[in-house]
Amino acid sequence: MKIFKIFFFIFCFFYIFNITSHVQANQDVDKISKNLRCLICQGQSVYDSQSDFALTIKMLIKNKLQEGESEDEIYDYLKTLYGEWIVYDPEFNKKNLLLWVFPLILFIFGGLLIYKKVFINEHRK
Amino acid sequence: MIASKLGYYSLLLGFAISSFLLFYSLNSFKKKKLSIGSNLVSVMSIQLFSVFLSFVSLIYCFLISDFSNETVYNNSHTTKPIFYKISGSWGNHEGSLLLWLLVLTLFIFLFVIFSKKQPIKYRFLTIFFQQLIITGFFLFLILTSNPFNLLLPVPKEGLGLNPILQDPALAIHPPILYLGYVGTSIIFSASLSSLVNKNVNSDWAKHVKKWTLLTWVFLTIGILLGSIWAYYELGWGGFWFWDPVENVSLIPWLCLTALLHTLTVLEKRNLLKSWTMILSIATFTFSMSGTFLVRSGILNSVHTFANDPERGIFILTFLFILVFLSVILFFSYQENDKNAQNQIHVFSRETSILVNNWFMMYFLSVVLIGTIYPIFIEVLINEKISIGPPFYNKLLIPFLIPFLIFMSIGPNFRWIKDNFKKINYLRIFLFIICLSLSYFIIKDTSLSILISTIFGGSAIYLFLTTVKDLFRKKLLIAQSISHFGFSLFILSILFNSIFSNEFSANMKIGEEFKYKNESIKFLNLKTFEKDNYKSLVANFEIVNSNSSVSMFPEVRIYNEPNILTSEADIITSVFADKFIVMNLIKGEEIFNVRYQTKPFMIWIWMSTILIALGGLVSLFKKKYE
Repeated sequence: MKIFKIFFFIFCFFYIFNITSHVQANQDVDKISKNLRCLICQGQSVYDSQSDFALTIKMLIKNKLQEGESEDEIYDYLKTLYGEWIVYDPEFNKKNLLLWVFPLILFIFGGLLIYKKVFINEHRK
Repeated sequence: MIASKLGYYSLLLGFAISSFLLFYSLNSFKKKKLSIGSNLVSVMSIQLFSVFLSFVSLIYCFLISDFSNETVYNNSHTTKPIFYKISGSWGNHEGSLLLWLLVLTLFIFLFVIFSKKQPIKYRFLTIFFQQLIITGFFLFLILTSNPFNLLLPVPKEGLGLNPILQDPALAIHPPILYLGYVGTSIIFSASLSSLVNKNVNSDWAKHVKKWTLLTWVFLTIGILLGSIWAYYELGWGGFWFWDPVENVSLIPWLCLTALLHTLTVLEKRNLLKSWTMILSIATFTFSMSGTFLVRSGILNSVHTFANDPERGIFILTFLFILVFLSVILFFSYQENDKNAQNQIHVFSRETSILVNNWFMMYFLSVVLIGTIYPIFIEVLINEKISIGPPFYNKLLIPFLIPFLIFMSIGPNFRWIKDNFKKINYLRIFLFIICLSLSYFIIKDTSLSILISTIFGGSAIYLFLTTVKDLFRKKLLIAQSISHFGFSLFILSILFNSIFSNEFSANMKIGEEFKYKNESIKFLNLKTFEKDNYKSLVANFEIVNSNSSVSMFPEVRIYNEPNILTSEADIITSVFADKFIVMNLIKGEEIFNVRYQTKPFMIWIWMSTILIALGGLVSLFKKKYE
C-alpha cells in the first residue's frame, strides 16, 4: 500500500507541476528564447547569444507571437525546421521514456531498499 | 627549451618511481614483509617533487613564452599579462592533466604522513591502489598528452589563450576544484584497501571522514568559483546553466555529500558498510567518467578543449579497468553486517541519513541521466536532443520539497532510537505559518501559485529550523553551519529567481529607455587600446525614484586569438545586484544592452561559503558529538 501512496504522490506532483507550468506561460520572446539552443554556438541558448542565427530566431519568435501563435506552436514550428536538438526541454515520448522514468524508478527502488532495511528489521524484533 | 627537457625528464622519473612502487609493494605482499620506513616516504617525496618540478617547468615555459614548447605555443601569447601566462599553464588539456597528476601524488604523500596510526597493511594497500591510478595517468600524459612536445622551427608568436579564460576567478578555479575533484581518488584507494584489509569499521570511518571533508570543502569552493566566473564573465547573468561540464562536477559533489552523511552512521553505529564502500568507489568513478566525457570531446560544452579520440579511448579503457577491479574486490571482500545491533529504528538519525542518501541518489541520477542521455540517443538512433533547465526543474523541484521538509526534521532525531513526538503540533503550526508567508510573497508574481507556495513555505520552514539549530546545538556546530548555509542557499535562489528583473534593447549613444520605475540612459562610449585587446567602455546612467548610478559595461576585442568578449558591470549590494552587459551588433554604433536586477546574488555566494565553512569547522574540530 505504501508504495502506491508514494506513486500517487509523485504523480500528483508532476501533474500539478505540468498544469501550472502551462498556465503561467507568459508569451514573451525572452522566455521562449531561453528554452532554445543556439545551434551555431557552444552551449549557449538563443537568448544568451548575439550570433546572427540567434538574432534571426528572436525576430522569428517576435513575428510569430504578433501573428498570435502560442508558445507551443512556435516550439513545434522550430522543431520541424531544425529538429528536436533546438529545444532544451526534451519531449516525453517513447524515445525519451528512459530519460524521464529512470530517476523515478531509481527513487522507488531506493525507497523499497530503505523500507526493507528499516521496517522489516523492526518487525523481526 | 631546457625547461621543457627538464620537465619531460622529471615526468619520466616520476613514472619510473611509481612503477617501482607498484613492483615494490607487490613484492612486499608476496614476502609478507610490510613496513613503511623513512626510505619509502623519501621515495614518495621524490616522486612528488619530480611531478612538482615538471609542473613548475611548464609554468616557467609559459612565463618566458618559450614557443619551442607546443603547449605554450598553442595556448599563450607574448602580450598576455604575467598572471594569465601562469594560469594559462593549467588552462589547457596537457597542463590541466599535469595538475591532475600533481594532486594525485600530493594526496598519497599527505596520506602516508598523516595516517601513521592506521594498520600497516591498510596503509600499504592504499599506496598500492593510489600508485595504480598514478601510473595510469603518467602513461596517459606521456603517451597521449605530453605537455613538453618540442616544436622546430621555433615559432615567433603563440596562438593565445581563449580570452574568456583570462580572468582571476577562473585562474584559481582549476587548482581548487582539482584538489577536491581529484582528491576523491584517495577516498577510492583508502576504501578499496580497507575492504581488502577488512577494517571497514568506526575507526576507519573516523579517519577517512577527514579526507572526505577535505576534498568536499575544496570541491564546493571550486564549483563556487566556476559559478561566480560564469556569472560575470559569460554575460548571461545566471550562475548555473546545467552545462554538461558543470554537471560532471556536481555529480561527484552529490555523491561525496551522501558519503559524508553515511560515514557518520558507520562511525557511530558501525552500520552501512557496503553502502559506504559503494559511495566511496562511485565518487572517484564519477570524477573519472566526467573527465572522460569532457576530454574525449563527446560532450558539447563551453569547457571542451581540443579533442582527440585517442585520449578518450585511453581514459575509457583505464576507467574500465578501475571499475572492474573495484567490482571484483567489492564482491570478493565485502562483509555482510549481520549482527545483533544491526537494527535501524524507524525514528532515528540513521533513518534520516538513509533518507538523505535516498534523495541525494535521486538528484544524482537526474543530473547523470540528463548529462549522458543525449549521447546514447545520438549513438543509438542518430538523433540529437538537448536537455536543459526545463528538464532539471521539472524533475528536481517536486522532489526538493519533501527533501527540504525531511531536512528540517531529520537532524533532530537521536541516534539508535527516538520517538514520534519530534513531529508535534507546534511544528505543524509553524509550517502552516511558513506556507502562508510564502503565499503572500509569491501571490503577486507570475509563478504557479500552488507549487511555488509549497516550495517557498518548505524553504522558509527549513531556514527557521536551521537558524534555531545554529544557536542551540553547540556540539554539532559544523553540521548546523552547513545546514544553515544550505537553507540560506535554497532561499536565496528562490527569491533570486522570483524577483529577478530584466530589460533588453538595442541602443545607440544618447538614447534613453524607461523600464518599470527605472530609466536607462546610454551616455557615452570610450575606446582604449590595451596590450592584448581593444576595449570599448560605455557609460550608462541608471536613474530611479531616489537614486542614480553610473555603470560601465565593456566590450573587449582581443587580438590573439581574435575574439569578442563582453565584460559585465555589476554593482553588488546586500539586497540585490545591478547587472549590465552589452554586445556589439553591427559596427561599433548599435549595442544590444541587457540590464538586470538580481536580488540576493551575494547571498547565493555567501551561503555556499557557509556550506563549505561547516566542512572546515568539522575538519579542525577535535571533539564532536
